[in-house]
Amino acid sequence: MLLLTVKAENRKLKGSVLWIACIIIPIIPAVMGTFNYWMNREMLTGEWLSLWSQLTLFYALLFYAPLVALYCSYLWRLEHLEHNWNVLMTLPVPLRDIFFGKLYVIVKMTLITQLWLFLLFCLCGKLAGLPGLPPVITLTWTLRGTAAALAIGALQLLLSMCIRSFAIPIGLALVGSIFGFLSANLSKAAIFLCPYALMLAGMNSNAYEDRMEGQVIPFAVSTAGFFLLFCGTGILILKKRDVKA
Amino acid sequence: MTMKELIVEYRKQRHLFVWLIPLAFLAALFLWGGAGQRNLSDYDLAQGYSYLLCQLPVLNCIIMPIMLAVIASRICDIEVKGQTWKLLFTLQDKGRFYDRKFLTEFLYLLLFCVGELGILLLYGRIYGYTEPIPAILCLRHLAAALLAGSAVLTLQHVLSLLSVNQIVPLLTGLAGSFLGLFSEFFPAAVARLVLWGYFGAFTPYRIDWDEAAGEVLLVPKIFPTGLFIGFFIFTVLFSLLCRYIFVRKEL
Repeated sequence: MLLLTVKAENRKLKGSVLWIACIIIPIIPAVMGTFNYWMNREMLTGEWLSLWSQLTLFYALLFYAPLVALYCSYLWRLEHLEHNWNVLMTLPVPLRDIFFGKLYVIVKMTLITQLWLFLLFCLCGKLAGLPGLPPVITLTWTLRGTAAALAIGALQLLLSMCIRSFAIPIGLALVGSIFGFLSANLSKAAIFLCPYALMLAGMNSNAYEDRMEGQVIPFAVSTAGFFLLFCGTGILILKKRDVKA
Repeated sequence: MTMKELIVEYRKQRHLFVWLIPLAFLAALFLWGGAGQRNLSDYDLAQGYSYLLCQLPVLNCIIMPIMLAVIASRICDIEVKGQTWKLLFTLQDKGRFYDRKFLTEFLYLLLFCVGELGILLLYGRIYGYTEPIPAILCLRHLAAALLAGSAVLTLQHVLSLLSVNQIVPLLTGLAGSFLGLFSEFFPAAVARLVLWGYFGAFTPYRIDWDEAAGEVLLVPKIFPTGLFIGFFIFTVLFSLLCRYIFVRKEL
């Protein structure tokens, strides 16, 4: 049944504007980050790692979560419109499959976004005249950032499900990102207590050394914990609360 | 536009809690700004307000495009989602409707900008800045933030009204926030080509680093009056164009 819901969600995204967001948004930090790197290359001597820092500095800090929020809001908006909630809730499909079907699509979109960003990073690096290939660790950071998006995806999906407005969850994601940034600056332990900080730490933005070295287990536990918490809450609300169509 | 029309508009927003949006962003701004207020030296306290007035435009570049996109979308989406266009425009003029919606959104922008100055003064009180309150610079900041905010709000307003799918204005806000922030790192000539970059165009100081003293130096900048007037004229013309596009659009 989960497979069917995933297929249905995928079909809803066919020809959707969401793909434009997925393609265009990562181009902005890629082009501008490379430009910034090029202008300051006398100071930024870490080659590929310097370019990575410029590319991901603001992307991971402030825009990654709102982008995931945009995906989530779009998916739930379809249900919030035209009394679709009534149709959705009367389908002979387990409610958890509805939630996980949407979550699967969010994770897929996020993975595509991240891989697209990484590809742009490679292209921009070559255009900027950097030697060889990017360090493998940058691919690890990309994937680790995607893993952190599991927690954020679940949280934003929950918010977009409960809040009927398209825009509010996106605004909340930006506010959350600011709190994530503040938590990350507070202490290493605080990173694991704020889901929005996980993205920042996962992508290792604006740092040459891996900030998560020796912290992989707390990172994984925190991500999994938040993921389970938000998914569980989302499914529980779907089961218990009456719909407002 | 009559007061009655405005009241009707606010009645529509009764349970939407739109005012919470600027307040939530002000709270985030307060905490964000506060993170940089630890371990202040006498030198820092002596230029506390000026330093913040230098920082706020950059933070506005990040926050305002998305916040304004959220506000405009939230307010315009009532009509988009409710499909009330045909009913509304048999009762009232499209232009007046456009202006009224814009005015209600502008008041939230005003609330945010005034709140920003409130935060500035609050920091002064909490941390005991020794610098006298630079009233002129504060007013200049308010005028610049309102002007740049109005230009961005105009774009968000028309996009929110014209888009059946609210992803378009929100995507624009997100991209604008990115572009505005990055434009801060570009040469001024390039940065002035970016609409969202105008939040940082009227900062009263340029930040420099005094290597010998190891301190942040605030170098005063002459207020670009010509640019301000030019951007004001652009904003007015842009508003008229957006209004024209909306009024002419067939529903």
